[in-house]
Amino acid sequence: MERQFNAEIESLKLGAGETFHGEGILAVTKALLQSGVSYVGGYQGAPVSHLLDVMVQARDYMDELGVHVEACTNEASAAAMLGASINYPARGAVTWKSIVGTNVASDALTHVASAGVLGGALIVVGEDYGEGASVAQERTHAVALKSSMWMLDPRPNLATIVNLVERGFELSEASNTPVFMDLRIRACHVHGSFVAGPNRAPAVSTRKLLAEAAVFDYEHIPHPPATYRQEKLKMGVRLPAARKFIREHKLNEQFAGTEHGVGIVCQGGLYNNLLRALKLVGLADDFGASRIPILALNVVYPLVPEEINEFCSGKAAVLVVEEGQPEFIEQDIATTLRRADIQTKLHGKDLLLMAGEYTAEVIVHGLARFLAAHAAHLDISAGARWGEAADAARTRAAELLGAPLPPRPPNFCVGCPERPVFAAIKLVERDIGKRHISADIGCHSFATFAPFSLGNSILGYGMSLASSAGVAPMLAGRSLAIMGDGGFWHNGFLSGVASNQLNGGDKVLLIMKNGYTSATGTQDLVSSPGGSEELAQELSPVRAEHTIENTLRGAGVKWLRNVYTYRVADMAKTLREAFTTDDAGLKVIIAEGECQLERQRRIRPVLARLLKSGERVVRTRFGVDDATCSGDHSCIRLSGCPSLTLAPSSDPLKVDPVAHVNHSCVGCGLCGEVAHAAILCPSFYRAEVVQNPGVWDRVLARLRAGFIGWLQPA
Amino acid sequence: MKLNQRPITILIAALGGEGGGVLADWIITAATAEGYPVQSTSIPGVAQRTGATTYYIELYPLRAAELQGRRPVMPLAPSPADIDVMLASELLEAGRALLNGYVTPARTTLIASTHRIYTVDEKIALGDGRYDSERILAAAQALAKRAILTDFHKLAANTGAMINAALFGALAGSGTLPLPRAACEDAIRSAGKGAETSLRGFALGYAAAAGEPPEVATAPAQDSETLAPSTRPLAPSLQQRLRQSFPAQVQEMLERGAARVADFQDENYAALYLDRLAPIAKLEQAQAATEEYELTRETARFLALWMSYEDVIRVADLKSRRSRFERVRTEVQAKPGEPVRIIEYLKPGVEEMAALLPPGLSRRLVAWTEKRGLTHKLNVGLHVNSSSITGFSMLRLLAALRPLRRRSARYAEEQALIERWLAAIAAAAATSADSELALEIALCGRLIKGYGDTNRRAKANFLRIFDTLVESGKLSDTKQRAQAVRAARLGALADPEGRGLEATLATHGIAPLPQRPEIVQFMRRTGAQKKAA
Repeated sequence: MERQFNAEIESLKLGAGETFHGEGILAVTKALLQSGVSYVGGYQGAPVSHLLDVMVQARDYMDELGVHVEACTNEASAAAMLGASINYPARGAVTWKSIVGTNVASDALTHVASAGVLGGALIVVGEDYGEGASVAQERTHAVALKSSMWMLDPRPNLATIVNLVERGFELSEASNTPVFMDLRIRACHVHGSFVAGPNRAPAVSTRKLLAEAAVFDYEHIPHPPATYRQEKLKMGVRLPAARKFIREHKLNEQFAGTEHGVGIVCQGGLYNNLLRALKLVGLADDFGASRIPILALNVVYPLVPEEINEFCSGKAAVLVVEEGQPEFIEQDIATTLRRADIQTKLHGKDLLLMAGEYTAEVIVHGLARFLAAHAAHLDISAGARWGEAADAARTRAAELLGAPLPPRPPNFCVGCPERPVFAAIKLVERDIGKRHISADIGCHSFATFAPFSLGNSILGYGMSLASSAGVAPMLAGRSLAIMGDGGFWHNGFLSGVASNQLNGGDKVLLIMKNGYTSATGTQDLVSSPGGSEELAQELSPVRAEHTIENTLRGAGVKWLRNVYTYRVADMAKTLREAFTTDDAGLKVIIAEGECQLERQRRIRPVLARLLKSGERVVRTRFGVDDATCSGDHSCIRLSGCPSLTLAPSSDPLKVDPVAHVNHSCVGCGLCGEVAHAAILCPSFYRAEVVQNPGVWDRVLARLRAGFIGWLQPA
Repeated sequence: MKLNQRPITILIAALGGEGGGVLADWIITAATAEGYPVQSTSIPGVAQRTGATTYYIELYPLRAAELQGRRPVMPLAPSPADIDVMLASELLEAGRALLNGYVTPARTTLIASTHRIYTVDEKIALGDGRYDSERILAAAQALAKRAILTDFHKLAANTGAMINAALFGALAGSGTLPLPRAACEDAIRSAGKGAETSLRGFALGYAAAAGEPPEVATAPAQDSETLAPSTRPLAPSLQQRLRQSFPAQVQEMLERGAARVADFQDENYAALYLDRLAPIAKLEQAQAATEEYELTRETARFLALWMSYEDVIRVADLKSRRSRFERVRTEVQAKPGEPVRIIEYLKPGVEEMAALLPPGLSRRLVAWTEKRGLTHKLNVGLHVNSSSITGFSMLRLLAALRPLRRRSARYAEEQALIERWLAAIAAAAATSADSELALEIALCGRLIKGYGDTNRRAKANFLRIFDTLVESGKLSDTKQRAQAVRAARLGALADPEGRGLEATLATHGIAPLPQRPEIVQFMRRTGAQKKAA
């Protein structure tokens, strides 16, 4: 795993009254333990990866508490874990990145929601929406609505989040319904503090085993005829129970103001940004005192009609601050008010942006319009002045800079084993023309950015091969699907390979076998190499692991090639062969090369130890000869490695900057291989620095230096 | 409670992998230890893979006792025109912060590193795609209340620390936070691992912000420094000739050019270089339109580069010099006493071979291989260990072929094209009153570079501009023609496929060249499909 959580694991053990300092998502982890959770599962992905990562690393402590932790192969298998809470009084939590993870989990979620739960079930979703998101922009809210599962959206401070986790389990049990805990990206990563409670050993756990399985009860099975009754229970029994619990435990918070004629209803998660917006227009202080009354919905589904009606009654107008579209909460409130015949004017998406993140700036603009219409007596000129200052700064900066700034999207790391594959694809395309490329989720999706700009579609995680099933038969040239080993196990084998084998598809599949789910922080897979630290530094341990190959053979794949990714010419040759062979079945190329982040993490301490103990270590670095580089940058267009960059030419005659390898080079060798495979130029060299040289190294070096020095011109 | 109190807002712009998260943690630790409410948020996500990202921190400058139990509510995202301290770990990211309105004269102290880490878009340009750093520096000075602009990357690297330590030092030294230096240093110590190194970086950053070195930026530092290649000084006779017959303003450029050309071949060749430039300098002198002698200078620049084209002999010579061996040792940071093996990636083929043969023989060889489709197939990938006796000897042997170069096919080809270029420059300079067209034609020399395919593509672009705009009767107005040549040259540098060039030519009604036919390979039909048919 990319990150070590030693300090964080200690903070999970804090007792009552001690202060926890840390990240939002780790506060949730602590809250799960305080809630006496029996089992935890999930699938990694920003912004919730840390919840599971820290628990996996804290295995010993989890065993001590009796908590079962499972790093699932996809979100569907995580969601299905909640089945434990249907029949048993066991609390469970699962986590993933949403919306995408929720989509994958939907089948299991539908069934657990229909059956209902006995033990509390919490689904912690990282709402990957707005700045920093890496998935299609949708609201998880819709899934909660259609499955009749409740959704928490706590105010983003650690104490409230922790409280809502604890209350969330109780709500789930009081209403027999699984509950979503929806956390935005920044809420997951917010760093704050809260006063911890004691961890509770779960009622049912790996240490307190149930003697017997549950008694057969058809009512717990989401299968007809029970499903009809369950559908009625959702709205007839579970919903009222939930509303009663929410109202009685005051999960939603009202903040009284002084301007009783107007009010704001917001999602709890937006409360802090709303407060800053109110402060910017001059209507709130730094400590939550707002002149406009606020109803902060820590539970966004279900709403409690009585609470809505009480808040809105007697007000001329109410503004709903709700992020994302469509405006589910606003519609819900409208229905509630209409049914109660309350004549308060309702605003929301008519004054605020329909789509996109609700930053303080966005909210200020909506507030200004709302207050101008319904509270014109309030002085909000401070907001206008601030807005003008912001606009002026941006305009002036644009004028002074003159030209737009080049973007800086994420890219492959230095020495990444996936980069050479795309260099090879570019070379092959020069010979045989463009091919349809189905891209996938993972680090390799960075190939859609410059300098590669490869990939025609992305249909979801592990979906590349499946997504070429329709298009491949329509194309004269064979199409290529690319997926990582993470995607292969997440979904790709079943949706892609098995389906292709059933239908006899004639396609090319390239699997990046780097050994881990690298994009999410190098978590383990079933095919991760069980490498010892002592593995030889040159070797890539993924070579010795054959689970993927055996699985493919088992599914009847005949044409299977393993290629070491850094051999660009071999990769290009193999791709060309796959595209042109007479073989009409699925052609699978496995691009082998261990994730460079993991590799460096593994070998750095080994090399440091060897160096310290005086052992001979050869350090490899690549370089470009300044004098022979002509500054065309073809090599960069085929690589894009962060360590292959530009430097001003030391020759004042040359105006264009030359290519230059900086000190972050890890010596993967791609630049040299590309220069060879593409017949680029003779400027690249590999330098092998012999550290702690032996006697023979020194003698040879002296011999060579003598000969060379004798003949060498300056 | 104090009036007008507000949180101190700190925004950090960084690149994935630079330790921005650690920097945020240090600030949190120091502020917490000092008893101030503090909150940070971030959006790491996939941006941790070398992309641009930000960290946002708010610190309330009142301690618990003064707050009397009240807790500040802090937003999770920064607002424009509301940032007290803007930290940027790289200059372009500072520019991004400016564009987003995070730096305002009323409020913001900008602490930014002036070094550049180039984006892919900048790096893949065929010529020079680098964003103008001076613009960002000027905008930073204009927009910030106070700008602390220094190469923090270099400062940190000098101590072995990462840039985040130097930036933290600068933040502490800027006096914008109520955090004493000792609290900040304790925060670094409490993080454990590597603390001593980080503290050294911190100290330099602190000094930089506290004003010890000048706060104004000098020329922006580059990603790394390169060492100048060695070139022998020009022979005295040629030096003398240069001083006597060329205007003083261009002597420096010509001396460099002549030395390079002599280094490439011999003094006679350098004399030819001066012979070629003399008429152009004379024409420009006669017009005396400018004191700058830009035409002579730029022609001299590109003529020197062109005349010292990179063939096998040249590459072998450059790669086997002592200065080059020393440069490599420095580049790879080899310590004294550590042997360094240098392995070259060479892949000579028919083309390189043919380039060395006399023209007649060369043509026959190329024709023979082309007929058999072998021209690009006979390249041999070599990994030459130039630090070994055999590898080094091979390179010196190739370098020793230099006297034969004048009789080679490539030499003849390059000289012919050079003469054509020079003739066009001279003709343009002679006929038009201002030298704009001549200068634009001279600058086309910039297109000529690279090896193999790259060189072929470059020459094709050059010839395309010559055929359509320079030597044809199209566009009789010289001003117009100069602009057209300029646009075409920039178009040729826009993309490697020649789309940009053809697009600019099309604006003058020049029909585009037929695109290289797309090769489509048809697959054999599979058994199942046959049966179905």
